[in-house]
Formats: sequence, C-alpha cells, structure tokens
Amino acid sequence: MSEVKKTLVHYQDLIIKIREFFYSRKVTEVKTPSLLFSPTTDVYIDSIEVKVNRDISRPTDLYLHTSPELEMKRLLSKGSGDIFQICQVYRDNEYGSNNSNEFTMLEFYRIDFDMHSLVNEITDLLKVLGKTDAITKISYAQAFSEFGNIDILDADLEDLKKIANSLGLNSDYDWVEDLQTLLFVHLIEPKINQIPICFIYDYPKEQSALAKIEGPIAHRFELYLNGIEVANGYEEIQSADEYRDRFNNELYKREKISKKNSLVDEGFLRDMNAGLPHCSGVAIGIERLFSTISL
Amino acid sequence: MNYSTSQFKNGLKLILDGNPCSIVNNEIVKPGKGQAFNRVKFKDLITGKTLEKTYKSGESLEGADVMELEMQYLYSDGEQWHFMEPESFEQFDLSEESMGNAIDYLVEQDICIVTLWNNNPITVVPPIQVILEVIDTDPGLKGDTAGTGGKPATLNTGVVVQVPLFVGIGDKVKVDTRTNEYSGRA
Repeated sequence: MSEVKKTLVHYQDLIIKIREFFYSRKVTEVKTPSLLFSPTTDVYIDSIEVKVNRDISRPTDLYLHTSPELEMKRLLSKGSGDIFQICQVYRDNEYGSNNSNEFTMLEFYRIDFDMHSLVNEITDLLKVLGKTDAITKISYAQAFSEFGNIDILDADLEDLKKIANSLGLNSDYDWVEDLQTLLFVHLIEPKINQIPICFIYDYPKEQSALAKIEGPIAHRFELYLNGIEVANGYEEIQSADEYRDRFNNELYKREKISKKNSLVDEGFLRDMNAGLPHCSGVAIGIERLFSTISL
Repeated sequence: MNYSTSQFKNGLKLILDGNPCSIVNNEIVKPGKGQAFNRVKFKDLITGKTLEKTYKSGESLEGADVMELEMQYLYSDGEQWHFMEPESFEQFDLSEESMGNAIDYLVEQDICIVTLWNNNPITVVPPIQVILEVIDTDPGLKGDTAGTGGKPATLNTGVVVQVPLFVGIGDKVKVDTRTNEYSGRA
C-alpha cells in the first residue's frame, strides 16, 4: 500500500469509529448549511466572505461558516435531540503550523448533559480512537495557581498588567480576558505540553463565549493534547436574550479593535425564542486530533 | 528598523531589554477564542541566555544591527584580545568577558566568527575543531588504544582536555570546541 493510501485509510478508519461511536449512542448525524447570511460575531474569528449571484443580477454576500454551532443550535431548538456533524469549516486570517483557513470539525450536542458529563463522553471517544493515555482534568484557576502561582479569578486588569510586566511582556491590552489569554499562552501552555490529554475547565466568566456563567466562572472547557488546543465546549446558554447579550458584547469588542462588523444573526435569535434545550456541546479539530493518533 | 511579528523568523536579530538577541524559535499560537500570539524563544547574544516572550500578533520590536564576520585572531595583551577583518584589515578588540570560552581554543592566526553589534564586537565563536599542542600530561601506558579510558592533558591555550593514554607532551591533537572533547591526533 502506498503511503498516501495508508494515510487515507487510517483517516477513514478514524472517521468510521467516530460515526459508529455516535450511532451506537443514538446521536443523529446532521448536515447544516455552510454558506450563511451573517458572519460570525466572534471577536477573534473572521468569516470568509463569498460574493454570489452577480451574473444573474441577484448579488448577495454570503459567509462561509466558521463553525456549524449556530445552525446546529437552530436544529436543537426545533427538537432535533442529540446531534453530531463532521464538516469543513473556514476562517479568515489564520496562519501557522497549527492553523489553516480550512479545517475539519467534529461538533456535537448532548441533551441534558452538563459540562462534566460531556467531558466524560469525550474521554470515551478518545479511548475508542485509541488514545489510552491517562486523563488530566484541571480547572483554569488550578492551572494558573499550580503552574504560575497566580490567583487568576481574583486578578483584575491592573493586577494582570503588573504580572505581564513582571514577565517582561507587553501589557498593553484593553480587556481582562486578553491578558488572561496572554498569560495562559505564555505560562500555562508550555507546561501542559508535557501532558498527553488535558482538560481545562471552568474558564473565567470573561471568557465565557456562549457558555453558562456561574459566579466567577463559565461552564466552558478546552481539551489540550500535548499543549495543542483540540476542543472547546460549553454547557450552553439557553435563551434568546442571553445570546443577544453575548453577541452584542462581541460586536462591541470587534468595533473597538476596528474589525469588520455586521449585525447579529436575527434568524438564529428568532429560533432561540423557543429556547435551547438544556445541553452541552463541543467542537473538536479533527486534523489536530488525528495528528496525535499514529497509524 | 522595526520588525513586526509577521516578519519574525529564526535567526532574526532584535533588541530585547536593551540587548541584541537572536530568534531561535517562533511559534504562532491562535487560541480558538482568543487573539493570535507569537510565542518566541530568543538567545541573548551578549549573555548567551535563553529568553521566552509572548507577543500579540502585530506587535513590533526594534531590529538589532548585528553582523557576523570571519576574522583572524591576532594576539592578546592579557586584557584585550585583538582580531582583524581580513578584507578591510580593520582591527577589533574583545574583552575577556566577551571572549567567553573562545579563550580556551584560539591560537594566533586562527580564523573565527566575531559578532558585531553596532560595529562593536560582542562575542566570538571559535572554529568547531581546533588543533592544539599538548604541553603537559602524565606519561602514557604502552598498548593502550583510543577510547579506553583517558587522562587529562593541558594544551597550549591552557585548556584541559581528556585524551587517550597514548598521547604525550608535544603531540598535536584535534579538539571539538562545542564539547571540549578530544577528537583525534592531528
């Protein structure tokens, strides 16, 4: 067998295992549109714009999805029950050895799962895929206290700036979450790259994204495989009002840093009026995951 | 001249905390929900220390005017070590501190790499392999072959290197300057 064929078959075997894992758990595979009317509101993710129908006098600007999240949540709000999807996603302004303008994402949602149940299901999936290393679970605050001796949940913007300065880093950031991320990238990631499978959970509320907030923390987690971020998951917020607030906050920040902006996705918010069922969901970068599983 | 993170690459020389540094590793990290950063490892060209810094993409740093030139080692007066750039015949002086471990290996006429920062010499790297003369060592034992055991030998620069037992005073030996190891008879 040629090397190319071996790699293709290996990749295919892993995809089959993922599908069988979900089929056996009665999770339905779905396919949602990848051309959307609204770009993402995510502050640090940029949609790729696509201009269509110019030649038939119906010019429209569409956007390639950066993740199938909102479209899958629309299905959930309409009663789809547990769903998963494996699809290509597209992002502008991505570059580097671990980044690309196009990659494959596995995204799934589980009804009535809290964050920790979803983390447990991901560990089951990793085992099925042949990743049998010990699982490390550590909260965001524990990671900072253990690897950086920093009380991250108690540190305000000025405290974080002082810490950044003491490490000889530029502290010219406007938001707490940006300094938290700077310190995470600088101090924590180089430490957890020794850990084969590491879940970081309970992110500070400033980094809640679309996760439920409880006191100073958000029910959000990430999976790191040898220091490389592979998955990002939430126990999901459920009401249209909460989604609107989160989107507006993101758009406000995009405007502050002079990024291209648009309106929030009203179609999505309309569907959320019915409410999202209590669920948790996660996005997993397939290429990054598979690169850690040898033939 | 300033360099932005998008121009960072291995070997680029930049000013960091007032010292000239060279990038030895540049990693782009883009957290899923955060902004992009460059996590960079530098070598301080004066102290030799490694530094790790993280920059947000788009930040820039001042470039360092650093040149590496082949020069000939002329002589030392005990305080300064004198070098000459063979093309221009321009001479440069290095202090003992800047010489680092090159003191242990350079003999007059040797060609080596001198690093200049703003036209001032800051470091010197000796050739990977130098030929030096044994000026002191215990007499060897007959029948010994290279690689089995060894003994210390003082070479003409003053450096002490482990050599095979058969090496005697007056012998010329090859030394690897990266490891300070004997690598054969010259």
